[in-house]
Formats: sequence, structure tokens, C-alpha cells
Amino acid sequence: MAKKDVQQGTLALMVLKTLDVLGTLHGYGIARRIEQISGEVLSVNQGTLYPVLLKLEQEGAIESEWGNSENNRRARFYRLTRAGRKQLQVETKDWEQTTALIERFFGAKAEDLK
Amino acid sequence: MKSLRQFVLRLSSLLTRRRDERRLKVEVEEHLALLTAANIDAGIPPDEARRQAVLKFGAVEALKEQYRDDRGLLFLEQFVQDTRYAVRTLRRSSGFSTVAVLTLALAIGVTTAMFTVLDALVLRPVPFRAPDELSLIYMGSRTGGRTTVAPSVLRAWRESPGFVGAEGASPDIALVEADGTVVTRGIARVSPGIFDLFGGVRPVRGRLFDLTEGRAGTDDRVLLSEDLWRAVYHGDQSIVGRRITVDGQALLVVGILPSDFRFPKWNTEMWRAVDFAMPTTNASAFPIVYVRFSGKMPRVDALRLAQDAARAADARNAKLEPRVRPLAAEVLDPYYQRAVPFLAGGVMLVFLVLCANVSSLLLARLTERRREFSMRSALGASRARVIRQAFIESSVIGALGILVGIGLAWALIATARGLLPEALLLRTLNPLNIDVRALAIASASGAVAVVVTGLLPAWIGTRVDPIHSLRLSERGGTETRGAQAVTRGLLMAEIALACTLLVGATLLVRSFVNLASTGRGLNSSGVVVAWIGFDRPVFKDPAARLSAVRSVEDHIRQLPSVERIAWSGGRPPSGGRISWGDWKSDVPGAPPVNMFVEIYEAGPEFFELYGIPLVLGRSFQPEDTAQNVLVGERVARTLWPDMNPVGRSFSFEKEHFNVVGVVREIHHPSLDPTVDRPEFYMPFTGVRGQGWINIRCQGTCPNTALVRQQIRAAHPQLTVNDADTLEDMYFEQLAQPRAVAVLGFTFAAIAVLAAAAGLFSVLTYAVGRRKREFGIRSALGASPAQIQRLVMRDGLLVAVTGVAIGSVAAWLLARAIASFQYGVSLNDHSTWLIVFGVITVTTIAASWRPARSATRVSPVLLLKDE
Repeated sequence: MAKKDVQQGTLALMVLKTLDVLGTLHGYGIARRIEQISGEVLSVNQGTLYPVLLKLEQEGAIESEWGNSENNRRARFYRLTRAGRKQLQVETKDWEQTTALIERFFGAKAEDLK
Repeated sequence: MKSLRQFVLRLSSLLTRRRDERRLKVEVEEHLALLTAANIDAGIPPDEARRQAVLKFGAVEALKEQYRDDRGLLFLEQFVQDTRYAVRTLRRSSGFSTVAVLTLALAIGVTTAMFTVLDALVLRPVPFRAPDELSLIYMGSRTGGRTTVAPSVLRAWRESPGFVGAEGASPDIALVEADGTVVTRGIARVSPGIFDLFGGVRPVRGRLFDLTEGRAGTDDRVLLSEDLWRAVYHGDQSIVGRRITVDGQALLVVGILPSDFRFPKWNTEMWRAVDFAMPTTNASAFPIVYVRFSGKMPRVDALRLAQDAARAADARNAKLEPRVRPLAAEVLDPYYQRAVPFLAGGVMLVFLVLCANVSSLLLARLTERRREFSMRSALGASRARVIRQAFIESSVIGALGILVGIGLAWALIATARGLLPEALLLRTLNPLNIDVRALAIASASGAVAVVVTGLLPAWIGTRVDPIHSLRLSERGGTETRGAQAVTRGLLMAEIALACTLLVGATLLVRSFVNLASTGRGLNSSGVVVAWIGFDRPVFKDPAARLSAVRSVEDHIRQLPSVERIAWSGGRPPSGGRISWGDWKSDVPGAPPVNMFVEIYEAGPEFFELYGIPLVLGRSFQPEDTAQNVLVGERVARTLWPDMNPVGRSFSFEKEHFNVVGVVREIHHPSLDPTVDRPEFYMPFTGVRGQGWINIRCQGTCPNTALVRQQIRAAHPQLTVNDADTLEDMYFEQLAQPRAVAVLGFTFAAIAVLAAAAGLFSVLTYAVGRRKREFGIRSALGASPAQIQRLVMRDGLLVAVTGVAIGSVAAWLLARAIASFQYGVSLNDHSTWLIVFGVITVTTIAASWRPARSATRVSPVLLLKDE
């Protein structure tokens, strides 16, 4: 399947979910994880992650601090905040509702619409 | 909440810019390193691994840009960046910046100073808290009444719920002795609670009056004004608690009031505590009462309560009603109320002229930098951003202009107070100061100036095509057609405005000169007149009066340089008894004439002292009764046109007068025609309740303080109501026209000079632009004179157009200020001649240098310049 580009809003959600599942990660780690989970279907210019991380940090959904990466060099590590966790729950619910609604629409046959 | 938090974070990130950018760099480097490592592990060779890592990551620079945009407040960062660049640019071209800043500073300074004058004379002549609640009040009838109030009524009004407070004040002049010199100063006897009535009065030293002061035993307490303290007592630090000599009495100084506080007259510098509520029968000691109305009930009710209280307190008020005069109306001057708005308008015109100058300066600078702007445009700056940058430069000039302008306004006000004190301060209780309102006006006018001068040049100067940045042969400094039209237009407007102001100023100055030089009909220089009251009971006896009169004469003659003395009833030019009504001459069938007439009592020495010649008939003789009068020429002309009035008679109501002679008319030149009244003279038969002593001096007259002192020494029970030089009396009518003429002239001068400067710089610039053209012309055989004529024609064309437009505006202005003119008219050729002459000379002077420099262009050098 051709790799699709992903929207900023959904990217933010993916970042939150990744941090929720995996705990504390640095930027490269988040990008790698998103690629893995999406099964290499989505192509993300990994650099576009950083504006998203900045926005999430400004909103207070994630926080960051310096740490040591695998190469024993300095890297910035991100983790979810309480507010971020709550935001994740709310947005997950929204998504589920939206997908359920769409499914019902697509599943409805002609007769149901009379 | 989220967006507020975001905003705050973005705001704070402005300060952590460098740290944030470094952090991003480190993160990106690390990310790329990890990606490269992963690629190497996957078996890709190292260079390829790095390249693929970078590809996978995406454009780093674009990322950094977006990061920057999202990180901070873009607008604010750009603003800071533009401002810093603007300051650098202005510092580089410091000559231009200085001229622009100074011109704007002049505009803002003059406007602020004018506003302060407007505020003090028209808008807020009473600078106390809630001035509308303050009023003067007395019991009177529709036809008049005593403005002073008896103590019982004052006490009653103090209790009245309609008033928050009622206090008394009585202004006077006092003799102050210090260091062996004697000077006159304004003093006011006030009830001690009067400062509470105004609110916010705080002494600079010492204290205010206690409410118990002013009674017997404590009625020698006095407060001084800071001005008086510095001028007469040289800021003596130990003065509080000391006694000073005032009118021969030793008074105790309890405090110093700020020089800002002026009440009840502009020249009151001392206040003496007197308890006006104490009962007294001396009616001449009753004060004028000022009240502050309570905000809790309507005026009508408050006045009704006051009326009831006054009638209950004193039976003589039974038929009288409370008459109220607001404090502001007491102080406002009708002349200034009309004149000052015109002056404010004049200032606006000057402001516009100066702004036009700055505008064309800015336009010239910006068009010179067109290459720079086209470069920015090519690099991606939007038109809006470029305009914003140009506008920010104007704003920086404007901000500096405001600061310098405030300083200039302060200096102008200080100068005005020094040069024209009575004229400006005579009719206001507001000290002329730069206060918060003035500062606000300064900033507002600065902002207006920036917008007005900066927008147009910013818009036009930055109108560039990016292609210009590529043209190497673009010579900086060529004017676009748009810029040229705007500059010429601005210059024409400047000259039009300057022409208008010049016409107005010429009319005002000529009016003043006419006023000052109009014949007065008598010899008015070197005369002092004192108005003496002989109303104390001791003077009821004619013998006592006569001896007092002789005593006064003897004492006055002791003063240096006294040449002659004459007593009179009333003093010229407008200090006699006034009668208004129908005057009938004895010509059969002649209709009565309604006139305001000034009546003096005078003896032969009076006419000799003033040099008033007899025109017809004879002068007074000892046997003349009060009905034999000398008429002035105006009365003679009005009642008996084309007839000899000697021997005839006239009547007014029940009085009859016989004309024994005609004397030359006395004039009192004034813009107000009702001030100059016709007069006639009754024979002087001796001093009764009041007497005027006219003193002619040889050379300079003695100080009026000395005159007062001598009169007081002659008999202590005499009251000196007034002592002034005659010139001061005439000057009263001249002071305001003089002030207005001076201001008008200043404005016109500024405008003309500014227009000349504008013309000069525009022509210089144009000549610089057309150097090649002039070089070619002279190479082809044009003489220097011809080239000069070309340039001068340019200047004259602008000037003529400006004058044409300005003449129309000037004509309208002249009609509007008709009431300020004296002896000049619109159709006067001299006014227009003066104005055209000034403008022509200015234009030629401004075009001379540029024209000369145009002829000095060497054609050879120009050809090399290619």
C-alpha cells in the first residue's frame, strides 16, 4: 500500500497514545514507534514530529526533560502529564464515537433509510 | 485556559530564544544520529546511511522556521526586530534624524503649550475638585445687591444641608515690608476652613489654618504663597513661626502654600485668617461667600433652604433671593473664550505645516532606499511587512519627538509666564503648568503626527518592484512620479497654511499697533491715580475731611519727582460715574439719544494736569454750580450736531445741565467699543465720601506701594481702594490683544520658516536629481542665469499655487476674526502687500542656494560619472 501522509491532529493523538503505552521516550523513539505500529503504512517525515511535540508541550499535555540516549549522548525525553492523560481519554472517546457513527452510515442498507 | 497558557508560554519564550534554539538543534542532531545508527545496523554503508537518515527526517531548515513561528509570538518578535533595525538606520543618518525629530518636537511642543493655555484660560480655569459645585453666593434682587454677606447669614448657610461648606473671602491689596523695601501684594482675608472647601490643598511648609484661628487673639495668622516667599523673603527657611510686617502690623506666618494655589484672585499671595462668622456691625468687613453645593439634593432645593435660612437669620433679606455665580464664570474671560479657540486653530495649522515638512523628509529618505526595499521584497517580505518596517521608523522618530516636544513645551510655558504674566494669568486660577492632561495631549499629538507623517511616505516609498533589486545600474535617489507629486502637493499645502497664518498674524499685529498708538486725548504717561475712601465715621465732619485732604497732599508732595496734584471725582479713562439712559438736548424737536455717559468731577487743575485743551467756551469758575458742565466733543457732536453747544442745555431724567464749554474728547482704545464712552465734567466741589488724587510726576513715578504708604501715613483711617499708574489702566485693554498678537506672530513665523525650510530641501533634492540635465544644458550653451531661472521657476510655481489657495483660506479667516481687529479691514491693501511680500522674499531666499548650486555643475565631471 502506498504510504499515506498523516494530519497534524491525528499525529498529536498518536504521540499521546505512544507515550501512554510506552512511558518516557525521546523524539526518535516516538517516531520509530509510530512507524512500527502503523505497520509502515504511514510515512511521516520524522521532522514534522517536533512542531507537534512543541504544541503539545505548550498545551500542557506532555512535559520534557534532558536525559541520556542509547548512544550515551544528551537527548530530550518526553512523558505524558495528568492533563495529557485526560486529554487522551477524551480524544479517544471522540474518535470511537466518530468511527462508530461512520460505520453505521456505511453499514446501513437502502431499506433502513426509508 | 489552554490558549491563555499557550500565550503566556509563547510570551516567555521570547526571552529564552537562544536556549530554545540550541535545544532544538541538539534534539535534531541526536535524532539524526540515532536514525543513522539504525540505518548502519540495517547494513547500509555509513554515508548512505546518513543521507537516507536526513531524507527520512525531512527538511531541517523548514522545520526550524516552522518551529520558530510556533514557538514565540511572531508579531512581537518581528516588531522588536524592526524597531532595532529602525534605530540603527536612524543613527546612521543622524543629520536627517535630528532634523525630523526636532521638527516634530517643535510641532508637539507648540501644540502642548497651546493646549495648556487653552486649558487654563477656557477649559478649566478653576482647578479644584468638582469645580461645578463651587459658587459665589449672596442675597440680592434682580437689579443687583451687595455681594458681601453678613455673619449671621454665613453661620446659617454653614448649617444648611444644601451646602457641603460655606466660607468667606475678601481680596485686597496690602503693603508688605521686607529688607527695608515696601511692595504691594495681593492678600485675601479668608475664613480658616476655606481650604477644606476646595480639597487637596497641602502646605509646602508649616500648616494650614486651625478652624479656631481668626478670632480675637488669633487674628494675626497668615499663610504665604511660595512665590511670595521666594521673591520677597528669599526662601528664608525659618520664616514659619516668624512675624512679618504687613500693612504696618506684625503677622505670624503659620505656613507656605504651593505656588499653584491661587484664590480668590490670580495675584493673591497671602491669606489671613479671619473668622467671618463672628458677629460684627462693620458692614465693610463682610466677606464674599463661596459655597460648595451638596451633591445630594437638586440645586433648586438647596437654594430654597439657603433662602429660608438667610431670611431667618437677617430680616433685611426678606425681599431678597439668593443669587449664585459659579466660580468658573467669575473667572472666565469672554475675550479669551473667543480668542483662544482661534489660537488653538492656528496651532493646528502650524502643526500641520511642520508635519508636512517631516512627511516630505521621510518620503525623500524612503525613496532613496528603494533598492533595499525591493531586495526585501524579493527575499519574501510581504508588502504589509515592508510598510510596517517603514512605519516603525516614523514611529521611532515620533517617540523621540514626543520626549523632546514635552521639554520644549515646558520651556515655552515658562517663557510665556515670564513675558506675558498678567495677560495670561489675569483671568484664571489655574497655574500654567504641564500636567497629566498636557502630557496626554503631547502623546496624542505625537501619535497623530506619526500616523499623518509616516503612513503616506511608508506606502509610497515602499512601492517597489522586486526587479529593481536586480538592476545594477539603478541610481539610488531617483524620485518616482508618485513621490514627486506628493512632495509638491505637501509643499503647496505648507505654503497655503503659512500664508493663512501670516494674514491672520498681520491683522492681529496691526490691530494691536493701532490700539496702542491711537490718540488718547490726554497726556497719560507719568501719572499715578489713587482712589481714596473717606467713608469712616470720623470723616463725616467736613473740617476733618478737609484737613485729611490737605494732609494727603502734603504727604504726597514729599515723594520724589511729584510735579503737580489734582483732586477729582472719578479718574480717566473709564473710572467716572456712569449714567445710562436717554439724554435730551434743548434743541426743539430733537429726539432723545440713548447713551452710556461717563461723568467726572474736575477742577481747572485737572485739565491742566492732563493737558486736555478747551475747544470752545470757557473753563470752570469758582461761582459755577453743579449744573454748569464742560462737555466732551462726543457729547457735543451727538446732542448738537453742527451747532455750537456753548450756552445750551441738556437733561437726563430729572437733572438739567448747562454747557459752559467743550473740551477735547478722551479716548479709551479697546476692541470693545462700549469701553470708550463719551464724557462730560461737573465742577469739582471738594472731596465727599470718595476722592481721587491725580499725581503727575516728572520722569518716572514713585512706586504705587510708596504712594499707598504715604496716604496711610497722612491719616490711618483712610482706605486706599486703588492706586495705579494711568498707563496700567490703558494697558488693561491692550494686554490681551498684545498677547494674542504675539502668539499669532510666533505661529506665523514658525509656519513661514518651516515652509521655507521645506521649499529649500525639496529644491535642493530636485536639483541633485537633475544634475545630469543641468550639466547637459550648460554643455549645450545655457548660461548660469538661465539655469538659475529654471530652478527659481520651479520654486515660484509651487509658491504661487500655495499662495493662491492660501489667500482664499486667509480671506475666510480674516472674516472670522473680524471682532479682534481694530482699525484694519480685509480690503486693506497693506495687509495683503505685506503677506505677498513676505512670501515672495522667503521663496526667493529659499530657492537661491539650490539655484546657485545648479549652476555649479561641471559637465565634464558628469559625463565621467557614468
